[in-house]
Amino acid sequence: MSDLLFSPAGIRWQDLLDIALNSYIVFRLYVLFRGTNAFKVLIGIALLWFFQRMAVHVGLIITNWVAQGIIAAAAIIIIIVFRDEIHSVLQAKKLKAVLWGFPHKDTPTPPDIMAESVFELSRSRTGALIVLPGKEDLKDIVQGGIPWHGLLSKEMLLSIFWHDNPVHDGAAIVNGDRIEKVGVILPLSVRKDMPSHQGTRHRAALGLAEKSDAIVIVVSEENGSVHWAQDSRLHIVRRQEELEKRLWDSQGPKAAFNRKKEQEGYRLGIAAVVSVLFVTGVWFSFSRGLESLITLDVPIEYMNRNPSMEILTTSQNTASLHLSGSGALIRSVQPGQVQVRLNLAGTQVGENTLVITPDNISLPPGVHLKKIEQPTVSITLDMPSKKELPVQVRWTGRLPENLVLAEAIVHPAKVQVTGGSRVLDTVSTIYTEPVSLQDIRESGTLTANLVLDPPSLKLAAGSKARVTVAFTVTQRK
Amino acid sequence: MMTTGTYSVCLVIALSWNMLFFTTTAFSQEKPPSQAAPGQGLTLVKAVMCEKIENYAPVNPAIVFSTSLEDITCFTLFDPVPEEAVVYHNWYFKDKLSTRIKLSLQPPRWATFSSIHLREADKGPWRVEIVDEKGFIFNVLRFSITD
Repeated sequence: MSDLLFSPAGIRWQDLLDIALNSYIVFRLYVLFRGTNAFKVLIGIALLWFFQRMAVHVGLIITNWVAQGIIAAAAIIIIIVFRDEIHSVLQAKKLKAVLWGFPHKDTPTPPDIMAESVFELSRSRTGALIVLPGKEDLKDIVQGGIPWHGLLSKEMLLSIFWHDNPVHDGAAIVNGDRIEKVGVILPLSVRKDMPSHQGTRHRAALGLAEKSDAIVIVVSEENGSVHWAQDSRLHIVRRQEELEKRLWDSQGPKAAFNRKKEQEGYRLGIAAVVSVLFVTGVWFSFSRGLESLITLDVPIEYMNRNPSMEILTTSQNTASLHLSGSGALIRSVQPGQVQVRLNLAGTQVGENTLVITPDNISLPPGVHLKKIEQPTVSITLDMPSKKELPVQVRWTGRLPENLVLAEAIVHPAKVQVTGGSRVLDTVSTIYTEPVSLQDIRESGTLTANLVLDPPSLKLAAGSKARVTVAFTVTQRK
Repeated sequence: MMTTGTYSVCLVIALSWNMLFFTTTAFSQEKPPSQAAPGQGLTLVKAVMCEKIENYAPVNPAIVFSTSLEDITCFTLFDPVPEEAVVYHNWYFKDKLSTRIKLSLQPPRWATFSSIHLREADKGPWRVEIVDEKGFIFNVLRFSITD
């Protein structure tokens, strides 16, 4: 089965999934950020990265350092400078939109709804200022405004410009079928040839038309007249049908619309292909570069040990693995990413021999196992047990020639210790720490700590780690 | 049977004489004197580590011996000895059997001893187990060899 999962070129299904996932991420970044300034800077960083890789390839040391520094700084700067843009993309949209939705950038403004709404405002003598952005970004031209993000409808427009609405004095920016912002302040035209009956609202409409390719529709509050501002000019629109026609014309005929849609589809298709090619290139540069070798000492983890047994000794606690892969991947391998796990299920008390196989080793993707230095592991298991053992004082040093240490009574004479049964079988005495005879001149008592050897032994509950020794000193005959 | 350790056993002597004049003295051991083997009546009445034997008696019974001494001795006295018997003096250094010395006993009572020659490498904790042929431990004497 596993053979089926490998392609003849040695690419695993995980590699294909890796490329596909990252291609999709790059593609989604394009879809979400295209048209924004952040995206342009991202493209710049990508080019800089490519430049840096080339510098590494041809051995330009300083250029490589400089490029690395700029990329590192740019990554921070882009987050700080474009935080609002990133925030609006990632926060304002729903999760579905971030993951797989396609923002319809060129959804046409419905001319019939717009025209009907404008003439309704006209009939009720409600002043209005509606901006239909062109291709140019209005961000640096207009000021203020409150994000609205509402679906365009007649009722919505009438309520926005209703006299008592706090935002009725500003302009509403309509993008496609959405009212994006309301209460926006437009730049005023400084022309001196404007008729005196046209007020600030008309001057603002003309001001924006002079500075951008946006279309601005103005409804006069005084006489209900409707004006169309485009290309630095102000035209009066007398009938609803005329406004509807102008709106249709501004969006182009329906065939042009469909062509635009097709172009959008092509653009996304090309972006998808470029994303796949880009990620595939990066993937190959990382995983299929010059092969490097590394020897890594990895701690052996023992699994499924019988809870009633304990590990007494092992012939080795680490496995020395020879790993291969591209230089970049090998350099990035951390000890924690490589694991060696041996299954102790089925092992017995006593010495067991286990063999480390590739199945026992987990490696990060793209890193391959070349060799296991010492694949055979001897492990000794034991059952915990308890034993009562006599205590013996370990005397050191020397008494004066005329004295003899005739007797020593240890209290307690015996202690209980716990440990592996095989270990306890080899131990028959618990010794004290070395007790010096140097200062002993007459009979007396002293206390001494017990030394548990081997250290795997433990004193059982209730047994003390210190004993009292009453000793008798006599004269040498 | 004798097990040879890293050193040689210098002297193994069995003595037989009337031990009535022996008196009981205090010495280091885990069990009190007069240990009898089950079912045999063979009884250990005295067991002691000493520097030497003089006039059939242990000299300077002790639990610490200097390597400046040439030999040390394990002295044992059995009373009664109902019939001919065999006992062993098992010498352990740091819990490992160093040598096993076989000693014969004759009725009605019998004193016997075994000795080892001391070397620098023998410094550390020792014990001698006095056992019969069936493995019954009459007594364990614990002592140290020091500077």
